[in-house]
Amino acid sequence: MSSLLLTLIVPLVTAAIGSVGGPRRLKEAVLVSGLALTFGLCLATAAAFLGGRPIEHFDAALRVDGLSALMLVLNGFVGLLAGVYGLGYLRRNEDRGLVTVRMRREFHGLIPAYVFALLLVSVSNNIGILWIAVELTTLASVFLVAFHNRDTSLEAAWKFLVLGSLGLGFALLGTVLLFASAQGRLGEGMAALNWTRFIETAPSLHPFTLRLGVVFALIGYGTKAGLAPMHTWKPDAYREAPSPAGVLMAVGMLNAAVYCILRVHLISSAALGPEFSGGLLLSLGLLSVLVAVPFIVIQWNLKRLLAYSSIEHVGIMAIGIGIGGEAGAFGALLHMTYHTFAKPVAFFSAGTLAQLHSSSDFETIGAGTLGRAPVSSVLLLLATVIITGSPPFGIFFSEMMILRAGFAGPHALVTSVLLAALVVLFCGFAYQVGRLVLGPQPAERRSEVTPETLDLCLGTAVAAAVIAVIAGFYLPNPLMELIRAATQVVGGRR
Amino acid sequence: MANNILVLSAAGMLVTAYLMVGQKALFTAIRLYGAQSWLLAVVGVTIALADHRPHLFVTAALTASLKGLLIPWFLMRVVDRIGIRREVEPFLNVPASLLICLGLTVVGYRVSTGFPEGATGVAHHVIGVGLSTLLIGLFLMVTRKKAITQILALLTVENAVFLIALGITSGMPLVVELGISFDVLLAVLVLGILVHRIVDRFESMDVSRLSQLKG
Repeated sequence: MSSLLLTLIVPLVTAAIGSVGGPRRLKEAVLVSGLALTFGLCLATAAAFLGGRPIEHFDAALRVDGLSALMLVLNGFVGLLAGVYGLGYLRRNEDRGLVTVRMRREFHGLIPAYVFALLLVSVSNNIGILWIAVELTTLASVFLVAFHNRDTSLEAAWKFLVLGSLGLGFALLGTVLLFASAQGRLGEGMAALNWTRFIETAPSLHPFTLRLGVVFALIGYGTKAGLAPMHTWKPDAYREAPSPAGVLMAVGMLNAAVYCILRVHLISSAALGPEFSGGLLLSLGLLSVLVAVPFIVIQWNLKRLLAYSSIEHVGIMAIGIGIGGEAGAFGALLHMTYHTFAKPVAFFSAGTLAQLHSSSDFETIGAGTLGRAPVSSVLLLLATVIITGSPPFGIFFSEMMILRAGFAGPHALVTSVLLAALVVLFCGFAYQVGRLVLGPQPAERRSEVTPETLDLCLGTAVAAAVIAVIAGFYLPNPLMELIRAATQVVGGRR
Repeated sequence: MANNILVLSAAGMLVTAYLMVGQKALFTAIRLYGAQSWLLAVVGVTIALADHRPHLFVTAALTASLKGLLIPWFLMRVVDRIGIRREVEPFLNVPASLLICLGLTVVGYRVSTGFPEGATGVAHHVIGVGLSTLLIGLFLMVTRKKAITQILALLTVENAVFLIALGITSGMPLVVELGISFDVLLAVLVLGILVHRIVDRFESMDVSRLSQLKG
């Protein structure tokens, strides 16, 4: 059996084992080893791709090209990180008596199931299977958002599910219309929905049907990515979801949704030229970045702050894709890679602060966390420096690349607005985190808060930070090769 | 003959959507959704017979059994257990809603003329009805307050997408349709469980009460 199939089977088996009862230690071991094995298999599949040609299965319904290989590696990495941190998270809550048997079962079943769905999205070449996989990611994550069963978590889960299902309804209509635009030229069987086949027949697709389909599909998958104005579920869901699930949503789901958007965009560009869907992505992306500005500047909650930062970053990626050309595509994919490494650090450190204070509101946490939880505070500062795009870290370079590509092309106006927004966002984010971490310590607080202890959560956070810093300066050669291969799929074909 | 049945059942789906807009009793709304799904199945069978596409029989059977029986039964059980029978006054009253839906139908028909098959024949009606039903479903979604009605609106949108798929392409490849049906069933289950939890906590399934999260 090939490594690609194993990559999908292993997390599924892990989820099945996790959702039944069993001794705690054993379940923890199964979760971590399952996700570690999954990540290893992702690497193996990507290596196999680099060593040869695209890997295909089931009439090419599953296919690993450069873009898919990059997605596999990034999502496998985040899956492992979230799983390990999640164990620490559960242990901490268990010490405080907050974990029921139901919660443990849900957690051990849903996290690997979510990872499975994300990986299935990453390798789907068939746009019908792609839709099914995205729906699976939604269903796997609903109960993770509702995990704590508070009033607010149920509200967030409801909004997430209804808005997500509506978006997926649009995406389904988009898929139907894309299929219809071929007017029967794709044939009858399952392979008729293959993305590769769409690209081959692109010039003969019916323009009106295709345009309508592309608009619906982009809006639908844009909802999952959290592009404005379909972003409203994001802050609620991020605030309510436990941090490990939050990371899977903020990085894994974001990558997967951008992957879907890219596939649709590529069909559209092959048939209609890059202007149509590219223009749509440019405007949605710019709107997302602009929407994030006021909400970051006036934000009152740490995890919602991260959500708006994630809306900003998906906006930047959309703008990079919209600007297009090899430079824009390379910038967007590089940005996605750096974002994947940096975001977990922010979530893990924020998660620890929130757990120690039993809330993620700035007011309840109180200023001056540096004195109470020094390690997490330093990590949060570090994450802020990295994800706001300060030099010398990677996100600075990927943002510069997108900006340069924008100024070189016909989109100078959009690019200058983006540049201005990025400056304000940098200041806003740094101001919020700086105030929280470095502000004056209120005198009476110190005693009530349990001090930070070196546990699994903190260890994972430190490890993630080390990886993020190293990746910020230096991406290993095979990974760079994958990004270049993905850029070829996105930007180099025409 | 086949064409008449096709247009009649597609129009019937639009009528059920209109009736849902004018309806406040939850049981009736669920039954209307069931009827709509049966009509969708009839459209599928008719096309299967007329165009000799055997795989559409499977899709139709699936539609009838899942969306015509299983999902309505499950939703009725949820309503029964919760003990709330009626939708409260929607954000917009019924006459105004119906007028807006009329406008949406016109829009749906207008858009359907752009398709290659749209200029002539039955497909035009089927696509037009599908798009109108889709828009009405979206309208229901934003104006209703009860969680169950929102689920029904979502399912109506989904039925409309299937109707458009039938009208425009005579159906998607079978494997994909099976997967989609399975996913829809799963989604309804998840929604049902979530409604249960919401009612347990809030003692109401009024979605407008879910409004603590802002900013």
